[in-house]
Amino acid sequence: MAKKQSAQKEPQKPSLVPPIIASILSAIIPGLGQMLARAFKRGLTILLSFVTIAGLLAWRIYLEGRRYTDIKTIILKAFQFSPILRFVFILLIVLYLWIILDAYLTARKSNKGSRAYGSGLVFFILAVFFLLGWQIGDINMGEFFSQAGEALPTMGRLLWPWEKAVTRPEEILIISTTVQSPCTDVEYPTGEIKEDEPYLVTSPTCGNPTESDGTAGTEFTLIGGNFNPGQEVEIWWSDPIGNEFRQRQSGEYVKVMPDANGDFEIKVIMPYRLIPPVAGEGPKIWEVQGRQVQSVGKAQLSEELTLSVEKMIETIIIGMMATLFGVILAIPISFLAARNLMSQNFLTKSIYYFVRTVLNIVRSIEPLIWAIIATIIVGLGPFAGILALTLHSIAALAKMYSEAIEGIDQGPIEAVQATGANWFQTIVYAVIPQIVPPFISFTIYRWDINIRMSTVIGFVGGGGIGFLLQQWIRLLDYKSAGIAVWFITITVMILDNVSAEIREKYN
Amino acid sequence: MLEIKNLTKIYDDGTVALKNVSFTVPDGEFLVIIGLSGSGKSTLLRCINRLIEPTEGQVIWNGVDVTPLKGEELRQYRREIGMIFQHFNLVKRSSVLKNVMSGRLGYAKTLPSMIGKFSVEDQQKAKKTIERLNIQDQVNKRADELSGGQQQRVGIARALMQDPKMILADEPVASLDPVLAHSILSNLERLNQEDKITIICSLHYLDLVQRYASRVIGLRLGEIVYEGTKAQIMKLTDEEFKEIYGEEAERIGGNLIGTVKEG
Ligand SMILES: Nc1ncnc2c1ncn2[C@@H]1O[C@H](COP(=O)(O)OP(=O)(O)OP(=O)(O)O)[C@@H](O)[C@H]1O
Ligand SMILES: [Mg+2]
Repeated sequence: MAKKQSAQKEPQKPSLVPPIIASILSAIIPGLGQMLARAFKRGLTILLSFVTIAGLLAWRIYLEGRRYTDIKTIILKAFQFSPILRFVFILLIVLYLWIILDAYLTARKSNKGSRAYGSGLVFFILAVFFLLGWQIGDINMGEFFSQAGEALPTMGRLLWPWEKAVTRPEEILIISTTVQSPCTDVEYPTGEIKEDEPYLVTSPTCGNPTESDGTAGTEFTLIGGNFNPGQEVEIWWSDPIGNEFRQRQSGEYVKVMPDANGDFEIKVIMPYRLIPPVAGEGPKIWEVQGRQVQSVGKAQLSEELTLSVEKMIETIIIGMMATLFGVILAIPISFLAARNLMSQNFLTKSIYYFVRTVLNIVRSIEPLIWAIIATIIVGLGPFAGILALTLHSIAALAKMYSEAIEGIDQGPIEAVQATGANWFQTIVYAVIPQIVPPFISFTIYRWDINIRMSTVIGFVGGGGIGFLLQQWIRLLDYKSAGIAVWFITITVMILDNVSAEIREKYN
Repeated sequence: MLEIKNLTKIYDDGTVALKNVSFTVPDGEFLVIIGLSGSGKSTLLRCINRLIEPTEGQVIWNGVDVTPLKGEELRQYRREIGMIFQHFNLVKRSSVLKNVMSGRLGYAKTLPSMIGKFSVEDQQKAKKTIERLNIQDQVNKRADELSGGQQQRVGIARALMQDPKMILADEPVASLDPVLAHSILSNLERLNQEDKITIICSLHYLDLVQRYASRVIGLRLGEIVYEGTKAQIMKLTDEEFKEIYGEEAERIGGNLIGTVKEG
């Protein structure tokens, strides 16, 4: 304690230069004055911060105004496009002046034997950094709030996707009749009007489709009868090569509501359709359909839901397998990475440093990147995900295990040896109880992380639910994506609690 | 009877922790070792049960030189000598019972003991020992949930499970408050008087030394600089005291010796 005190009370040596000179030096090189005023670290910090801020500012100005050639316009345009930069520029000048003043004050304080320099300058530098960060990060709160409103419906689908969790298989009644295009000399026969069966007839029975230049096609009157009353009928076409499509008129799908007897009448314009040459020459037969939902089956789990469940299981399995393999391989490696076990001779020390270095490198590469590498080797799918997570788990677990081994308390080992216990008994009674609980705790923690990671590893092709989620987001199918997100959230929440509970026990 | 002959310990880094130390401990003695921090008390105690290998000299236990013992013989020797520690050295995450049982490992068969099986006699012995030290309410707790005094009593119970003929106690009360210190030392005193267990104990406080020791050895820089009987202890003069504890030592609060430690 006595030593520490004397170190603290060691008096500040006087500045190497008078305050005025310190100021002038800091005006030439910001921070130099402070360094010579016996506040070397402060001076260095100031110098580095000043250079960094000036450099970043120059870079941003260049980026904003690089379309212009001469420096003056570049600067002016940059200030015009991004007013923050102008503000930062002004602050930089203030900072420069402040540094000069600070050099004077610092030198004076050092001369008085004090080390208590003001911290205002430091806060000012930090503030300028954050301001630049705001500009570089392209932060735009206005946009965030104005766009958030428009994103609400999509968010709604993501948050409450459950309509898509069930489907009802529908049986569709399709009643059709044919028309000829173009008309010929022979009159094309009309459909049959039936007594007690649904029917559809057209008038006329032949005509021309809408042209590609927009010339409207023939108007048909569709008359239907004996449909289910009170249920909408959709109008569909099937072109001469058998492609079915729904009738649209002025952008809307055409539908009609039959009357109490199930009869309806509606006028439709024959739509445009590009008919490929394979359809051949001469008049062709089109089909026009009235479609109605006839019966609705029982609700069933939708394909999206079952797929999500399946992929969620796959996800959990990926995480568990990766943890299992990780543990099995990490345990032996951890002994090689424990300093207290590996410091006997040069060889063991070399192994120790080698293993440590490899582990650090492997650990510093994100599992997502390992997954990309793994997919190159084993292709897309869960195996790639397992490989990637295993590799990362080995590195992370081996490090934590080896730290647990390094942290073993020699005392109990000594005490058990002193009772006359042999080697095996000492390991079982004094070593294992010390390392097993932390091992379990670390392993559960890893397992937790691995399952979280396995939910996103699919984004890069590593299998599991991430793959589905990414596909659905790309297809803008936010309801299905919402189902996946829900599953991920629920699983991770349960896991979180379970793992916390278990780890609590082994702490 | 324990005889130490010309014991020297030089650590790998060249530190001479013990220099040609010789003394004899008759059965039933309560020998206290005093000395500054770093004077070699722990080294001496650990050389006796061979947790540390002496560089030179002999440790003779009941007529047998134990310094060359190896393997099974060494373990059989060790189990006759219990040891308790300043920081208790319990396996913190194991239960009190398991810690106490570990004192019996030197007698137990390897395989059953590894899966936690002990003979019925051993279990009864544990029960009695635990009751004797008044920690029966704590048996199923984890060792680190106990207070310092309770932990040290577990440490004593563990040593007693060895049926020791001698107990080495390395500053057994240095991490405890004065009241607990007395309680732990009177436990040791009872073992000394009732069970006729020889005690070798390192202590720092003069009043405790005067109260419990039947003989005292003072160590300084690895050498014996003082030896005295109980009667002589009571009249330990400041000169003798400074001889052991160095010039800068002072008496603190009447009888208390300041534990002159750095930091
Ligand atoms: N493992 C070791 N390697 C090297 N030197 C050691 C080792 N253990 C102890 N020493 C040194 O040996 C000397 C005696 O140490 P020892 O622990 O026996 O003293 P002590 O009297 O028990 O002190 P304390 O009262 O602090 O416990 C000290 O100088 C110490 O630094
Ligand atoms: Mg010691």
